[in-house]
Amino acid sequence: MPVVSITNLKKRFQDQEVIKGLDFQLSEGKCIALLGANGAGKTTTLKMLAGLMKPDSGSIVFEGGEKADFRRLIGYLPQFPVFYEWMTGKEFLEYAGRLAGLPKATARNRAEELFELTGISDAKNRRIGKYSGGMKQRLGIAQAIIHRPKLVMLDEPVSALDPFGRREVLELMDKLKKETAILFSTHILNDAEEICDEILFLHNGELVESGTLAGLRTKHQQAKIDLAFKENTLQYAEELSLLQPFSSMKLDGEYASFLVEDIEYARELFLTEIMKRNLPLVKFEISRTRLEDVFMKVVQK
Amino acid sequence: MNQWMTLFKKEMLEMSRNFKWIWVPLTFIMIAVKEPLTLYYMPQIIDSLGGLPEGAVIELPVPSAGEALAASLSQFNTFGVLIIVLITMGTIAGERKSGVAGLILVKPVSYAWFVTAKWASSMILIWFSYFLSYFLSWYYVGVLFKFISFTDFLQSFFVNGIWLTLIITVVILFNTFMKSPGAVGFISIGIIVILSLLSSSLPHLLEWSPALLSAYANAFIMGSNFPDELLPSIIVSVFMITLSLLASIAIFKRRELA
Amino acid sequence: MEFIESINWAILAPIVIIQLILMAVAIIDLVKIEKANGPKWVWALVIIFINLLGPIIYFIFGRRS
Repeated sequence: MPVVSITNLKKRFQDQEVIKGLDFQLSEGKCIALLGANGAGKTTTLKMLAGLMKPDSGSIVFEGGEKADFRRLIGYLPQFPVFYEWMTGKEFLEYAGRLAGLPKATARNRAEELFELTGISDAKNRRIGKYSGGMKQRLGIAQAIIHRPKLVMLDEPVSALDPFGRREVLELMDKLKKETAILFSTHILNDAEEICDEILFLHNGELVESGTLAGLRTKHQQAKIDLAFKENTLQYAEELSLLQPFSSMKLDGEYASFLVEDIEYARELFLTEIMKRNLPLVKFEISRTRLEDVFMKVVQK
Repeated sequence: MNQWMTLFKKEMLEMSRNFKWIWVPLTFIMIAVKEPLTLYYMPQIIDSLGGLPEGAVIELPVPSAGEALAASLSQFNTFGVLIIVLITMGTIAGERKSGVAGLILVKPVSYAWFVTAKWASSMILIWFSYFLSYFLSWYYVGVLFKFISFTDFLQSFFVNGIWLTLIITVVILFNTFMKSPGAVGFISIGIIVILSLLSSSLPHLLEWSPALLSAYANAFIMGSNFPDELLPSIIVSVFMITLSLLASIAIFKRRELA
Repeated sequence: MEFIESINWAILAPIVIIQLILMAVAIIDLVKIEKANGPKWVWALVIIFINLLGPIIYFIFGRRS
């Protein structure tokens, strides 16, 4: 059952179309990464989903959002969260809980619980003005999930953090997956691969690819053979490429890379030829293209 | 109503954390009480500044109690209004500019309650400061000059207070459609000045103008009666206050918050 | 000097006290606050040396909201 269905979502700023018709659905309990380079439209999309920005056209329908305020169903953490710095962490979290409709005692207990979960219990009575970036990010996640929303949206939750803080927040998100669906934006594929099983890939305001990471790998990844010779790598590689006209060849510095369809066949072919002619082989490596390369190709198009 | 109280309490807490509950009343007291004091000590002040030149005779009429209290009242309409605008201009705009409004308003918060809680807390702070300072000024006038009847004091207090309320509400209104507190302050001051100038230079055309309420209160405390136009002015003011407040909520709902 | 003597200090004392409270609260706030809107020592001078208005100017413009 989808938590939210988005159809033909569009948004323009002045004369620039930032979001050019998005269609997708998010299902309950899934973790989905909104992937894309800076300026791809990730933040705009999330802001529209959170109701902070109005789409020019298209619809965003939350399951159960027609009857009640859809904001009950979502939690949101902006890219650069700002709090009331004069409040303590505890005051802010309880305030957020009360605003989300929790009774006083529930808000207090839930805040306590979230301080434990996010690991900032020690700082709960300190003014937020004195929090570090990582602590603010974790407080931000805590306030986003205080009312147990069905969908939590996190805008670049780890981008501004140092490696240590990043590790902690990623681990926290991993724990969160059990409680709620997560949609988080990032420009780093690694982060997405680490905790999510599905991605939405946004480029120039359009959804260029989406699905499970496993599915994308089988769809896009290609087998690759890297070859290098003691000398004349270019010449030998070109001669070898004549054997298999379907593969593409690229010279990458000291070695040649072949993208091949049938890895078994290509290996057999190349090795036999190399043995036969006794070529001075120094490197023979079989690998697969990385997903990142796939995305780079899309972006550079 | 629960949520309204949560919002309202947060405003109250913020005002005590940033000392508004201390400095706003004290500032109001200073500007109000300064007037009867300087009027009372004027002859001595002139004397101490070297006195009048030899032979110059300036008759300094002794101000009446009414004049002294009216002087305080007009301080509220200059310096007081400036302070009201300065402390209210960022109440919503500032939170939107900093981004914290984005965090709060993705929670299921009623826009009407958000705006009215802000309005109510500003009202309480300002009416409290205004009453305390005007009351002390009335007391000083009584000690230094002559006591003015307390009901007269109260009447002028409420009539002028309606004008101050309209100002608070107008500042809140501009808060809802601008993100920069500076711009909110600038436009609010502009509107207040234009309204006051128009009303005082064309009183026969705009005799129902809310901006004349302060003039009516002023004349009243100096001894004349309230004119017939008082009631229409009050009605127009209350109408404008209600309208501004409703407009604030309506505009705030439609605004993009981020 | 007669001016000073002619003043009824019982009347003036509250004003002086209010001014002192304002100054004290402003200074306490300035010390406690994380960051002021500009260098703190400048604000300290403003609060102490600008008569009557110093603390008010600080509260309105000196605090970063």
